[in-house]
Amino acid sequence: MAGRDECDVCVIGTGAGGGVMIKELSEAGFSVVALERGPLLTPSDFTDDELGVVVRREIFGDQLETSRIDDQSPTQIGRINGSVYCVGGTITHWSAWSWRFRPEEFRIRSVEGPIAGASLADWPISYDDMEPFYEKAEWEFGVSGDAEANRFGPPRKRAYPNPPHPIKKSSQSFVNGAEKLGYHPFHGPTAINSRAYRGRPQCSYGGTCAFFGCPIHAKATSLSVCIPKALASGNLDLRPNAMVHQITIGADGRARSVRYLDEAGAGHEVFARQVVVSGGAFGSPHLLLNSTSPSFPDGLANSSGLVGKNLTLHLFPLLQYLVDEPTLGMTGINLTVAVDDLHDSDSKRGFIRGGVFGEATTSTPISHAMNAYGFPNLKQMWGRGFKDYLRTFPRQVAMIGFLEDLPVETNRVDLDPDVKDGHGLPVPRITHKQHANDLAMMSWYTDRMREIGEAAGAVDSWVPDAPFTNLTEKKAMPGAAGHFHGTCRMGDNPKSSVVDRWCRSHDVKNLWVVDGSFFPTSGGYNPTLTILANAYRVANHFIAEAKRLNL
Amino acid sequence: MPKNITRRELFSRTGAYGGSAIIALQFPRALDAAERSTDRLVLSATEWQTVEAITARIIPTDEDPGAMEAGCVNFIDKALANEDEALRAQYEAGVLGIDTVSQTRFKKSFVDLNVDEQDTVLASLESGVATGWPTGPVGSEQFFSTVRNHTVFGFLADPKYGGNRAYVGWRVLGYPGSRHRSGGYTVEQMRGEADIVTSWGGKLPR
Repeated sequence: MAGRDECDVCVIGTGAGGGVMIKELSEAGFSVVALERGPLLTPSDFTDDELGVVVRREIFGDQLETSRIDDQSPTQIGRINGSVYCVGGTITHWSAWSWRFRPEEFRIRSVEGPIAGASLADWPISYDDMEPFYEKAEWEFGVSGDAEANRFGPPRKRAYPNPPHPIKKSSQSFVNGAEKLGYHPFHGPTAINSRAYRGRPQCSYGGTCAFFGCPIHAKATSLSVCIPKALASGNLDLRPNAMVHQITIGADGRARSVRYLDEAGAGHEVFARQVVVSGGAFGSPHLLLNSTSPSFPDGLANSSGLVGKNLTLHLFPLLQYLVDEPTLGMTGINLTVAVDDLHDSDSKRGFIRGGVFGEATTSTPISHAMNAYGFPNLKQMWGRGFKDYLRTFPRQVAMIGFLEDLPVETNRVDLDPDVKDGHGLPVPRITHKQHANDLAMMSWYTDRMREIGEAAGAVDSWVPDAPFTNLTEKKAMPGAAGHFHGTCRMGDNPKSSVVDRWCRSHDVKNLWVVDGSFFPTSGGYNPTLTILANAYRVANHFIAEAKRLNL
Repeated sequence: MPKNITRRELFSRTGAYGGSAIIALQFPRALDAAERSTDRLVLSATEWQTVEAITARIIPTDEDPGAMEAGCVNFIDKALANEDEALRAQYEAGVLGIDTVSQTRFKKSFVDLNVDEQDTVLASLESGVATGWPTGPVGSEQFFSTVRNHTVFGFLADPKYGGNRAYVGWRVLGYPGSRHRSGGYTVEQMRGEADIVTSWGGKLPR
């Protein structure tokens, strides 16, 4: 074909942030090329085959990466990040809890003051800047919830578009325990249809949301909400199986083109007037650091030296308990009722910040088997005792928390100096050590969750501590990497941040980063609604600036 | 230039319970053939017996069926023929290793030991103190852990992979089976106000 492969906007990654940009910009009339490293999947691919989907990651793809706790500790090959690689990205397998951050979560540095060993920063934007876009995201994604029920929620102008989901028996157990202790449990807002909404059906309560794709698109995702509308605009050129490895820079200092490999390994180059990076907080810095040039020898848009740094990984305290009757926790949505009473900082606790937690009972058999690690008095993960444990499945209730970990500058994603992928490119190396505040917070919340289990009539309770991630791979480090942020920090000062308040690179004016990388601090709620709302905010600004010929 | 995906194409692939997956994904799978076949594909007759005996100690048969009844060894054989081909060498070395350890300690092959002796051998493999384990690339802990995890998967994964025969694994747990494509659960079932009928036919206690 004659002529260059070119477009107005090239979006790299199709997840929560990228999906919103793709949809908004293609509907606004820009020609958009969307490059996604994974395949295009459809609901018929989203089975509840736990071995294939969760353990073997057959449809959601894999990533070669290395990790270590700090610069002195040994580096392990293995994967810790929980990204999904398909059109729609990681939001495809989310549990869909959809929270607005509280106003003070945008200005932690001001609220808390300096903390030794942590790189706290205020966001350059406030809750008020985000509020209209939170509302937009909630309505686009059809969030179900009860705005009145959350007495701790931030101020809002409009209710949720859909009513809350019904309470299943395992949730009721958690509610009973929490209420006995004086807490105020309520339905966590969830972007799963509690009734048919905007062309997507009501949830069928099959029980496999977390770590699975939704087979009926009742769960709102980039794939079910954004991509179809973008394709309908006629302005989207969606290219799955396109592994981007470099963004090039022109003599004018602007991003010039995006280079990728197709499924067969053949190279392609798209010339774009604007480049939007949305590869996730691991993938985006990895791509920028791999995109070196004479003007950016340390990686594109990295004059601050902060690309890849300040990686935050939410803390996920877990608590399982057993009661003496069936709880039917395998039914319904996976993340249900929340307790948010303990969210704010309290100096009496000996640590700052906090988060939300709720009921999230394990709904599938292999995950249940993995939760045996840590079960009281079970010494051996085989034999009669293990089988007795397996038989406790119907009587289990589980909780999970989502807590704000503190940013630390040396926690980072960089390029592994030794390990290369099949194309000869350095793989991402994750260096992450939890701050003392994180450890104290985990322990304190675990104790509170245990008390709720006891108040609910637990006959046993424990913290599941399998030495594996993804069920079989040896854990490289404590903690998990299901929520990841911070590696392209947002701020007003180009010396102390990577992108500006509009998620536009300080260094390269036509380069934008719209996934969770921009978070200066991680917040004590699941991050996805904030990623979505921010992307709507950035898209709105992008379109306004285009009209002013200011891009 | 790469082929573009059109909206029409996306929707032709979509639809609530839309038939078979149209795009070819990269997985060679044991799939349904494994469920029906118990023919040995990879393991030798001796290896099959030994591995089956190990699985039977990992999830023993008691008043409920165990790994033996679930066909975990068949699951392992099919996995080694397909997705876990790379683990074949571990099984070859491991079966030789466990017999050497059994001979060293009890002067018998693993399959000829009584269950207490078998448990003793397995515990020594797991803790890495198995006297007689051959030096080589496969450690006894590694072999034990592989078989242990495979047995759990064979007991609890979808029967299409060749284990969990007649849903015995799910029955032991009290897991009613996959619901995604069979209509999910009603609100009454979620609350314990209506019965849940399981994949194996019985009702779930509520």
